Amino acid sequence: MALIMMALLASCTNAPSNADDLTYWTSNNGGEIAFAQQVTSLWNQQGGQQKIAFQPIPEGQSSEEILLAAVVAGTTPDIYSNIWQGLVEFYSKSGILVALDTLKGFKELIAERCDATTLAEITSSDGHVYQLPWKINPIMTIYNEAILKELGLDSFPAHYSDYLVAAKQYSKDTNGDGHVDHWLGNTSMKLAWYQRLFNFYPLYLAASGGLPLIKDGKASFNNRYAIEVMTFLQSLYQNNYFSRQVESAGQDLFIAGRYGSKWTGPWEIEYLDKFKRPGFQYSFTAMPVPDGHQGPVYTYCDPKGVVIFNTCKHPQKAFDFVRFMMAEKNDLLFLQTTHQLPRRKGLDTMKSFMTYFETHPHMKGFARQSHFVRGSDVSPHMIEVLDIISQEYEACVIYQKKTPAKAIEDAEKAVNILLKTID
Amino acid sequence: MTKTNKPQKTRQQGAAIKMISPYLIHLSVFVLFPVLFSIFLTFHQWNIISPMKYSGLDNYFHLINDRLFWKAIINTLFFLIIHIPLQLVVALFLAWLLNEKIILRPFFRASFFMPVVISGVVVTTMWQQLYGLETGVLNQLLTAKGLSRVEWLSHPAMAMVSIAIMATWKNVGLYTILFLVGLQAVPQSHYEAARMEGASPWQQFWYITLPAINPTIFMVFVLSTIGGFSLFIEPYIMTDGGPLNATLSAMLYIYRQAFGYYHMGYAATLGLVFALLILLVVAIQKRYVENTEHA
Repeated sequence: MALIMMALLASCTNAPSNADDLTYWTSNNGGEIAFAQQVTSLWNQQGGQQKIAFQPIPEGQSSEEILLAAVVAGTTPDIYSNIWQGLVEFYSKSGILVALDTLKGFKELIAERCDATTLAEITSSDGHVYQLPWKINPIMTIYNEAILKELGLDSFPAHYSDYLVAAKQYSKDTNGDGHVDHWLGNTSMKLAWYQRLFNFYPLYLAASGGLPLIKDGKASFNNRYAIEVMTFLQSLYQNNYFSRQVESAGQDLFIAGRYGSKWTGPWEIEYLDKFKRPGFQYSFTAMPVPDGHQGPVYTYCDPKGVVIFNTCKHPQKAFDFVRFMMAEKNDLLFLQTTHQLPRRKGLDTMKSFMTYFETHPHMKGFARQSHFVRGSDVSPHMIEVLDIISQEYEACVIYQKKTPAKAIEDAEKAVNILLKTID
Repeated sequence: MTKTNKPQKTRQQGAAIKMISPYLIHLSVFVLFPVLFSIFLTFHQWNIISPMKYSGLDNYFHLINDRLFWKAIINTLFFLIIHIPLQLVVALFLAWLLNEKIILRPFFRASFFMPVVISGVVVTTMWQQLYGLETGVLNQLLTAKGLSRVEWLSHPAMAMVSIAIMATWKNVGLYTILFLVGLQAVPQSHYEAARMEGASPWQQFWYITLPAINPTIFMVFVLSTIGGFSLFIEPYIMTDGGPLNATLSAMLYIYRQAFGYYHMGYAATLGLVFALLILLVVAIQKRYVENTEHA
């Protein structure tokens, strides 16, 4: 019944004015709608090409559910621009996406935007590419600058042991009720799979130098890096250095000064500039890493891509539009309009982007970080994999019911059973 | 007996079919088809967008060994054990209060019923704020009185109890009204006669009120049980089934399998087994109440 309702909802869309026009669904956040409006208008003004009618993805609980409903109802758009990288394999295996590497201009576009690692990350298990890497929002540490002064530090702690020392020093009970009410950090305690993309996973990528969770159809995360990450996180909760408060709507304990830091993406900048108290200063830095870590610090980049559904009657023309949308000048327009990073190599050194980064210094840090990011592994079951890790995370990190080694081992076993049973 | 002639009988049958056809169509489309399709799905693997694969009894074997499903069932039963008695007692007490001649009675009736008509999402979000560990109103009140704060939603032993309290607050108004109707139907003459015989208020309640409202109690019992089995919004929004799966309800688990992982065949199997379980529990309740009535 729910599926029928969603299918009806997904089919209630604005049809393009001309039957030959292509439909483009964008995310329904304000910035991306504004960008889609501008870029489709620019494209349509050029004339002589397939017109594009854009619309935000219909409202629903999640864009994934709406997409699924649209597939069932046969009302998928021609182009969709906000698909999570980890979901593409699920759709491509079901045969509902166009293999973009079969289209003219694909190689040039990929060569312009991606390095070999990104290309490998977006290549499906059948060797084809069904998504174009469009945008990223790397996860980094945001911290309240006032805490550095309070802790007598020049910079925010970068390694686990320094982090734990600072966390101990910063934890305090200011109102004398016997409970700590100021913590160095906070991260979501919720069990939902996607919450691990903002704590365990970026920390794992940072510690391991960007190693995958799944490799050759098997779990590949039972290693010292994952155990170190779990141990670090467990210490934070065990010693009450991280709050066990489940934040609810309308609360922001980071702005209130109760949390000294958290792990978040560039979306936080616009939000803070709108809601922060006068004088509240913040900065971003990389994710913390184990002591003795060598090399660059990687992180998760929350990648979203563009796909073309196989209901599209003119896939080449749809691709031409996507190529236009991802041209350098339109990437700049995207950055200026949405304050999200286009997924493009050498972003921080491109001339056309310089002015933007000079006027948005916080974003420059994210652009630098974009050299060292990873998205999701290629598996149609990424949600379940992350759910399994989340279960173990909760048992080990939050409630200390398992040792880190045991939690990682159990997660590995469960993931392997899942991948073996379902594939 | 009058013998109806054939054309007239056919006309009557035709008219009868026409009259019941809206219901039959509704029943077929929205009840029969989904039920039959769900049973069909239990023998398949299906992710909605790929073709179905016949899997025989695999889903049923998987269910037998699925520890999380059985935990979800136990959690749901645990919720019912707290929620139903609490709901019955509170609803009956409020109904008794509202049946007395108290001031502002219409206002209290409306107030107690208000949470029933508020969206479950709104109620849950509101209670999430009340239950907050550090900043929640309840813990602030407790600490202000020098008491220890409670991990309402983050302690595995407490989380389901907290949800049951909230669910009772949300639904009690409806059952209060049902009890009130039951109480108002008890003839006053019974109480007058009992008082003349020297019966205490407790004896009046035990020997007159309770037997008189027994059908209402059974109805509330059954409705609460069925409502309790469909526990979903509260853990979905507040805890996502945590901590340590302590609030993972059967409905939440079925939803997760269907719309989180797209295991439609397996979700249908879970749904079917769960529906049979509800049927069984309600049948036991009915039998018990019938036996009590005859005793």
